[in-house]
Amino acid sequence: MTDRRRINGPPGETIPPFFDDADRTPEAVKGRSRPPNAIRKMFLKTGVTPSASGSAYLEISTSAKPGASGLKLSCSVHGPRSLPRSAPFSPHLVLTTHVKYAPFATRQRRGYLRDSSERDLSVHLETALRGAIIADRWPKSGVDIIVSIIEGDQERETSRSQGDEVWEMMNALSGCITVAAAALADAGIDCVDTVAGGVAALVQDASNSESKPSIVLDPVPSEHEKILAACCIAYLPTRDEVTNLWFRGDLPASDMELYNALVEKGIHASRNANQYVTRPAAHHPCRRWGDDEYEDAA
Amino acid sequence: MASTQHHPSHVLLSPAELAYLHDALLLVPPIRPDGRGPNDFRPLVAETGILPGANGSARICFADGTEAIAGVKAEVERTVRRAGDDTVYLEEGGGEEEDVEEGEEVEEKGKGRGEKKGEAAWVELTVEIPGVRDDDSGTVFLAAMLSEALLADGELVGRLWINRRFHWKLYIDIILISPPLSYPLPLLSLTTHLALLSTRLPRLKSEGDEDPFFDDDWAAAPYLFPRSSSSKSQPAPRPPITLLVMAVGNNILFDPSKEELAVADVALAVSVTSSTSQTGKEVTKGKNPSNSPSQSHRSLRLLSIRTIDPPSRLTPPGVANAANAAYGAANLNNLGNNGQQQKAAEARTAETEAVEGVWRAPRGGANRAVLAALVGKVLEKGGIVDEVLDALEAVDLG
Repeated sequence: MTDRRRINGPPGETIPPFFDDADRTPEAVKGRSRPPNAIRKMFLKTGVTPSASGSAYLEISTSAKPGASGLKLSCSVHGPRSLPRSAPFSPHLVLTTHVKYAPFATRQRRGYLRDSSERDLSVHLETALRGAIIADRWPKSGVDIIVSIIEGDQERETSRSQGDEVWEMMNALSGCITVAAAALADAGIDCVDTVAGGVAALVQDASNSESKPSIVLDPVPSEHEKILAACCIAYLPTRDEVTNLWFRGDLPASDMELYNALVEKGIHASRNANQYVTRPAAHHPCRRWGDDEYEDAA
Repeated sequence: MASTQHHPSHVLLSPAELAYLHDALLLVPPIRPDGRGPNDFRPLVAETGILPGANGSARICFADGTEAIAGVKAEVERTVRRAGDDTVYLEEGGGEEEDVEEGEEVEEKGKGRGEKKGEAAWVELTVEIPGVRDDDSGTVFLAAMLSEALLADGELVGRLWINRRFHWKLYIDIILISPPLSYPLPLLSLTTHLALLSTRLPRLKSEGDEDPFFDDDWAAAPYLFPRSSSSKSQPAPRPPITLLVMAVGNNILFDPSKEELAVADVALAVSVTSSTSQTGKEVTKGKNPSNSPSQSHRSLRLLSIRTIDPPSRLTPPGVANAANAAYGAANLNNLGNNGQQQKAAEARTAETEAVEGVWRAPRGGANRAVLAALVGKVLEKGGIVDEVLDALEAVDLG
């Protein structure tokens, strides 16, 4: 029995015609507008959430389109506070990380519940931060680190960016690490060093496969023809240590130099991002509402 | 907290035991608690084709009692076509002579896998670990790591392509049927590898872009990963494997047990595959493997690396004598001013620096040189990966 109460569409599906616009295609492939060893400009500010014990806001400019804005992240740190009575004893600070895309942050709408890629990102973030925090100074206490990705860094043209999601995830992770490090510093939680995230990628720019792939820092997937491999690194500059390494791609195992060069470049990107975290302009003296009154009293 | 209960970090070892284990693993050569060498895997029992209702299946049981089953199921699914992706132009649809179509077919085969590009959504992988919620972040991380390795080179999804309108959707379900006695990553990865090796898909009878129609003779069904490759020079491609490696000091240990992970300085999961894939061929600077037969017959490719948060960071620290109230730190007042200062300095040292024989959870990250050595050790020719792959080749695929 057919449904006669509603006006249904035709039973057979059709595909709307797609016109190959000849004069638009070359314009869409945009090259990289900055040198290969430069990361994008960032804006970082701490103390943006008055109710949290530490918070930071990070904005990364995008160079693909001049008017459009890039990745926007906000992080708040709650704690250290005592664990609930029901929790088992912990000799260390219990770190909980929570990464969430806003529902409107990406091209595809994200639900309110965290999906698996967001959970995956929060495990990566936890690994990156756990190495930096001196956790044994706070036994029996916990700290919650919440990162919301307000705007993802994605190309608006759907057809051009298939399979870029994983590379975008790496960019998002490096932003998450940097913003969380600034928020931890704002919260005054003891760390061995300030950690920051950096991404390096092996890219192929020309469409012909004869050209040699090159390594670039802070890749934007839409700026490159093809990304062959990428790695995201969380790095402690003064200790010269890596707390998190995430590599993905397809490299011949015989070519260890290529892999090592990629990791080196990732560390380089992380060092550059670290300058934003340690720069005093990010941490104003009267950074929080009500802080100046506190200073007068003291 | 379900996650902490089953977290592999919860080994019941005291700080003194942890310090002893750490020192034993720091020796050259390291002394592992179960007497293995640094490159030895735990012995395992493997079988394939155990689930009659699945396209491919495998079971692996490690000697320590952990056991996993993986089942692979395939369904035909309509490919969602996007505008501009590979648009079907009206000239191409139907109304053509038989011989013309035949010619097209040959041409299509000539184009190779470049045309048959799969999507990541064609493979769905789930991991089930008893006693852990399936949205637990540790489980999600495991599943993401395994599927990342499967998808990294596009080899597997390329094989799922049927024609421009249809593809196979592969469901890989991995169940750990024992409690997680150790970090289950190598076990799950090897089980998935074997299950994929034993996976067969029905033989396609239809041609071109028509609705797929399959041979109902299961005996004629080809393997998803063919037994032997068409050309002798190149070995048949194999699904990737993910290995767990850890380092204590400068010692590199493969396939660490739960107790060893509890004292690790750094742990990495490294995914490698043993094929020559088309997608990354342009990167290859090295020679063709067939040119150098004296070397290993495989050419390995690095697919993914992830840092595993070593559970050693959550272990309880020991208390040095200098900082121990029961051992003299309390009776500072009895000492003179000089002795008091000395004691206080010792206590500070105990907080910041390592004291011989006192366990302290590692701080900071991993040394760059150690990280590079870990990856280099995994990828070396004729190394542990070749050994594992040879062992897996030997498993009877029934």
